Amino acid sequence: MRTLATLAVMALLLLYVWERVDIVRAGYHIERLKSKKVLLQRERDELRVKVSTLTAPERIARAATEKLGMIPPQQGQVILVKVEPETPDSDRLADPEVRLAKSHGPGRTP
Amino acid sequence: MTGTDSHRGRRIVVAFVLMLGFAVVIFRLFTLQVLQAAELTVKAERQHRKAVTVEGERGTIYDRHGKVLAINVDVPSVFGVPSSLENPSGVARDLARVLHVRADEIEKKLKQERSFVWIARKLDPEQGRRLEGMSLEGIGTVMEGRRFYPKGPLLSHVLGFAGMDGQGLEGIERRYEPYLRGEKQIVVLQRDALGRTVFPKGLDEQGPAAGHSVMLTIDEVIQYMAEKELEEAVTATGAKGGVVVVMEPRTGAILAMAVNPRFDPNAVRAISADRWRNRALTDAYEPGSTMKVFVAAAALEEKVMTPGTLVYVENGQMVVANTVIHDHEKAGWMTFAQVIQRSSNIGSVKTAMALGEDRVYRYLRAFGFGERTEIDLPGEGAGLVKEPQDWGSRSLSSIAIGQEIGVSAVQLATALSAVANGGWLMKPYIVSEVRDAKGRVVMQAGPQVRRRPVSPETALTLTGILEGVVAHGTGSKAAVPGYRVAGKTGTAQKIDPQTGAYSASLFVGSFVGFVPAEDPRMAIVVVIDEPQTEAWGGVVAAPVFQRIAEQALPYLGVSPHQPIKLAMNATGGVLQRP
Repeated sequence: MRTLATLAVMALLLLYVWERVDIVRAGYHIERLKSKKVLLQRERDELRVKVSTLTAPERIARAATEKLGMIPPQQGQVILVKVEPETPDSDRLADPEVRLAKSHGPGRTP
Repeated sequence: MTGTDSHRGRRIVVAFVLMLGFAVVIFRLFTLQVLQAAELTVKAERQHRKAVTVEGERGTIYDRHGKVLAINVDVPSVFGVPSSLENPSGVARDLARVLHVRADEIEKKLKQERSFVWIARKLDPEQGRRLEGMSLEGIGTVMEGRRFYPKGPLLSHVLGFAGMDGQGLEGIERRYEPYLRGEKQIVVLQRDALGRTVFPKGLDEQGPAAGHSVMLTIDEVIQYMAEKELEEAVTATGAKGGVVVVMEPRTGAILAMAVNPRFDPNAVRAISADRWRNRALTDAYEPGSTMKVFVAAAALEEKVMTPGTLVYVENGQMVVANTVIHDHEKAGWMTFAQVIQRSSNIGSVKTAMALGEDRVYRYLRAFGFGERTEIDLPGEGAGLVKEPQDWGSRSLSSIAIGQEIGVSAVQLATALSAVANGGWLMKPYIVSEVRDAKGRVVMQAGPQVRRRPVSPETALTLTGILEGVVAHGTGSKAAVPGYRVAGKTGTAQKIDPQTGAYSASLFVGSFVGFVPAEDPRMAIVVVIDEPQTEAWGGVVAAPVFQRIAEQALPYLGVSPHQPIKLAMNATGGVLQRP
C-alpha cells in the first residue's frame, strides 16, 4: 500500500514537471509562430505597396501609351447608351446601363 | 589493526568528506536562498525581464474604392556598435555597396568612440534583406515603421505626409493624426539565458492596437484625370501653377483636389514648405468674373432681375467713383442673361447697384465667402469679404466683378455646388469613414447642409443662364459633347507686389462649372495662376474643365442627355439602331 502511494506521489510529481517543461516548450513554439506571423505580415504589407504602386493610374496610362501604343479614345469613339429591352416584360426589369466603346476614328471600320 | 577496522576507518572518512561537502552546499544554498534572497531576486528579474515600448502600426489611408493611398511597412534601420568593430574600413566598404552611401562617410561614423551609432534609417526592405545576408560583425538592424505613398505625387497636397518618427505633419496625416496613430504600449518580455523570449505572460495578452484606417471621398481615377489635365494646362500656358477642385454638388464630398506643382510625399526633405501647401484651401485670390454667378443669384432671388430684364451696358464703358469700368465688347442693351453669358462688367456692376451694398454682402456671406468651409483638412483660410462699413466708394462695383474680395478654390466649389443642387450650401468633406483595426466603424461623415442661400427656382433659373455661358457665351471651350454644361469663366488681374496696383501682365484664369446641368454629378473649379500665354479663363481654364468632365462622366457611368437607344434581344445582342 505504501509503495503504491509513493509511486502515485512520484507520478504526480513527474506529471507536474512534464507539464512545466511542456509549457515552456509551447512558449518557445508560440514565440516562433509570432515571429513568423510578423514576417508574413511584413511581406503582406510589402506586397500591398507593390500592388498599389503597380495599379497607379499614372503608371497604367504611361504603360498603355508608351509600351502598348494605345491612345485615349477620341471624340465620338465612346458611345454611352441606355439599353431598353424589347420584351413586353421590360417595365418590370431594372433600367440597365451599358457602355459601349466603338471606333469611328479615321481609317478604322466602324 | 585488522582489515575490518581499516574499512570502517575509510567509511568514516568518506562519510565525513561527504557530510562536509553537503554542509558547504547547504551553507551556500542558505546564503543564496535566504540571506541574499531579496537582492538576488531583483537581479534575476532584471536579467530575465525586458520592458520594450511597442507601437501599433499607423493606419492606412484609402480612396473611396478602397485603393491604398498611404500605408505603413516595417523596414530595417541599420546601426553599428563601433566598440566591437575590428575592421571599420572593411565593414564600411561592405555597407556602402548596399546602402549607396559613400564608404568614407560610414567609416567616419564607425570610428566614433561610442557604443551605438545610426548608420541609415528606414531603408527599402530589399536593402534590409541584403544586409541580413551579409551578417556583418558589429552591425545590426531594427525594424521601424515607414510611411509609403505608393501613388507617388498623386493627391500629395491632400494626403500630406508623416515625419521620421511616424507623426502626421501635413494634410490628412496631420488632421487625422489621433485616429491614424497606433497605440503605444510597454510590454514586459521574459527572456532566457540566450536572450530569447521565453513565454508570453498570458496567452490572451494583446499587442498594442494598430491605428485606424481612413477612407477618403476622393476617387483615385478622377484625381488622376484632374492632376494630368491641370499639369498639361500649366505646362502649355507656362503658368506658375494651378488648382482643380471636383465636388459632388449634392453631398459636398470632394472627388478630386489637385494642386500644381506637385510633390512626392515619399521624398519631402528636399522640398520647401511652400511647395506642399494645399493652395486649394489655404490661398485666397480675387476670382474676377466667376463672382458674377453669385451676384446674379442674389439679383434673381431678390427679384431685382429676371433673365429677360434689359440692361443698358453703356457701349462698353462706364465711370464709377472716378474709375472707368470697361467691357471686353461694346454693346448697348442686353438681357440680364446675356450680361452673365457675355460676362459684361458693366451689367454686373449695375446689377450690384440695383441690389445695394447690404444685400450683396448678405448673399456673399450666405454663399460661404469670408468664412471657412470647415472642410476636414488643416490650414484652411477664410478668404476676405470686408464688412459694408469698410467698403469704399468703388467697393460695390469692384466686388460685382470679383475684385476687392478673396476666395479660395474650395469656397468657390462649395458656393457653386449650392447653385447646382437647388440652393443648398453643403459642408465639404474629404473623409467619409474611419474604421478601427478590426473593421468596426469609428467615425462616419455624410452630407451636411449648412444653409440655403437661394431657392430651388433661383438655382434652376441661374443654371439655365449658366448653360448659355457654355452654349453660346464666353465658356464655349468647356462644352462636353452629349452633356449639358453650366459654368462661368473668370479672368482676374493680380496685384503687382511691387507697385501695389493691378498688374497688366499677371492674371488668374479660371472656370467654374457643373455637369450634367440637369442632374449635376460634378462641380468643377479650375484656376490657372499667371498663365504666360492668353490669360482668359475661357481659353486657359475652360478646356481643362472640358477634358476632365469628358473623361470623368463616362467613368462615373453618367449617360448623355440624348442617349442613343438600342433595342436588344434576349442574349444581349444588338438587333437594330433606330
